Amino acid sequence: MSLDPVQVMSGQVKELKVGPSSNGDSRGSWEEKEEFDKDKLGLTTKPKPVTGRRSRKVEGGVFFPKPENAVTVAVSSRVLFRTEREQKVFEQEGVEEYLRYQIEHENEPFTPGPAFPFVKALEAVNCRLRELYPQSEELFDIVLVTYNHAHVGIRLINTINHHNLFIERFCMTGGSSPIGYLKAWHTNLYLSADADKVREALSEGIAAATMFMSEKVTEVSESQLRVAFDGDAVLFSDESERIFKAHGLDKFFEHERENEDTLLDHGPLKGFLEALGKLQKKFYAKGQRLDCPIRTYLVTARSAASSGIRALKTLRAWGLEIDEALFLAGAPKGPMLEKIRPHIYFDDQMFHIEGAAEMGTVAAHVPYGIAQKHNAKQNPTVRK
Amino acid sequence: MVSTIQNTDVKQGFGPENMRLKKGIIGKDSSLCLLAEDADPVSSLQKDADRAVVVAVTSRAVFDCGAEDGDDVYGVGVAFPLLQALQRVNERLLEENPAESLLFDVVLITTDSQQQQQSSRIISNTRHYGLEISRFCFSSEEDFIESLLTNHVDLFLSTDRSEAAQASHKGVFSALLNRKVASSEQLRVLFCGDAVIRPDTDSPSASQDAAQSFSAQLGEMRQRFGLLHSPLSIVLVTSRGGRESCGTALRTLRSRGVSVDEAYCLAGAPRSPFLSLLRPHFLLNNDLED
Repeated sequence: MSLDPVQVMSGQVKELKVGPSSNGDSRGSWEEKEEFDKDKLGLTTKPKPVTGRRSRKVEGGVFFPKPENAVTVAVSSRVLFRTEREQKVFEQEGVEEYLRYQIEHENEPFTPGPAFPFVKALEAVNCRLRELYPQSEELFDIVLVTYNHAHVGIRLINTINHHNLFIERFCMTGGSSPIGYLKAWHTNLYLSADADKVREALSEGIAAATMFMSEKVTEVSESQLRVAFDGDAVLFSDESERIFKAHGLDKFFEHERENEDTLLDHGPLKGFLEALGKLQKKFYAKGQRLDCPIRTYLVTARSAASSGIRALKTLRAWGLEIDEALFLAGAPKGPMLEKIRPHIYFDDQMFHIEGAAEMGTVAAHVPYGIAQKHNAKQNPTVRK
Repeated sequence: MVSTIQNTDVKQGFGPENMRLKKGIIGKDSSLCLLAEDADPVSSLQKDADRAVVVAVTSRAVFDCGAEDGDDVYGVGVAFPLLQALQRVNERLLEENPAESLLFDVVLITTDSQQQQQSSRIISNTRHYGLEISRFCFSSEEDFIESLLTNHVDLFLSTDRSEAAQASHKGVFSALLNRKVASSEQLRVLFCGDAVIRPDTDSPSASQDAAQSFSAQLGEMRQRFGLLHSPLSIVLVTSRGGRESCGTALRTLRSRGVSVDEAYCLAGAPRSPFLSLLRPHFLLNNDLED
């Protein structure tokens, strides 16, 4: 079998000083640890008590959060693992042969897919959260939600075991739509290789993005989760993009200036940023702001001096903190992302997704808004 | 409770297509079981006793007997789509192989004296709705279990939890019918994985053997169809336990000849939102005691 996933992610990634941060806070090295008072378990956000239902424990004393209390990330098997060979069997020889092949190779684990480093980083955050808040259900909960038939189940379980992933919940729908199950899990983010399913999830109000397998993948941190977002049509609605597409750049600037004090409407990933922010605050409450294992980035084509102001004001009004806001004023995003090294970057435009992938950043497409009518042709190495 | 239904009485209640009844079996306590012979070529096939999968359903679940407008026609009950789905499986099995003997054999059983006395109306209603029923058992609450045993029922389905539990205790493999509306196009059977790997030690081993035997028959039936467009779907849900529990359940079922189509590992998440989506007709190996 090919790559040992541990090798891919070895080596510490040192904190890089990147771009002007929006609020001017100085950032010390994230390796500094601050002492915290272990005895004072002052929980700032207590899980809401639900009458009659206690937190669920399963065998081995392992702890599982109620779906509504956790930040649930649902991933499909095709983004968590690499399944190209099997896909080919399916496409060329049909479903029966595909499943027969899967069963035959049941004891061969799949190799990591594009969402794998992201999922590992979520688990690292969970470890830190459990240390600080052992009884809390406010954790990341990773659920495998796949269209796959249960015949592939044993191979998927073997693979999860092989890679030491902490995934205890899954839905293998055997061909039925996964969307209803996403709601049953109170899904905060859905990642899939299938753009149609992602679109369906978005239309149901669930944050979702399409992921692609890329040949070049740069190393990312194993201990700090880094999530980067585009602004328009991802965190914010696509209203400004519509103006730009319809009337050009000058009109866009004029519109933004005139509406500087009007909040932008929210976009499909706003809720996920909010969920990340809630978890970050739990670290801050324990004096771990500088050592926080979650870091968020805004990477936008807006410029700091003009159109960026409206974006910042909107975030502030929403009560959302973003650790670093990078206003590129139209410059290419690839090089900046390569410096940040996020585990995942969300953008609504395939042009930027491809640009990011070319430089080794794992980018996920949010098929939302006006840009979908103007998407660039897909790069052949970036498969659906 | 003595049944007073005679063959002649039954015939009088009918329209032009008289259902002929033959081979009445009088049970120990005088419950009456009647084998139906229809004009319909499909169901007139005498189902091979060894190969047929005998499923008994309570009449109260099939018909809504409360709706009495003086009209002899009952409303449909929650088990109605189930019977249609069972029929569809049989039809498809015969399409694949006209000589197929592994078919569902549906028994309609009354489990209380009030229903027992409605026998002629029950029979006429099955005719009215075109339901394929092989046998009728008009029993009361005292002797229905005896009827189930006498008729070698492989699975007893009821909406009444205590009824199902009682039958289970006496060694009849029983399951609760889903009260919510289910499909009439595809039979959806849900295995509760927690019990697959940790069998309920309260139920007698006869019931457990019956459970395994039914599962094996179901598994074999499933194999008759391809992966897509199957009229029968087998679903596994594990409520407690993590992925290892589900993996063990998958392997255990596989070793019994049951290939699962859909698998859901809930690891403590509440079951009802998932059951609403899954819409099974009934749950197997589900704890009947809670």
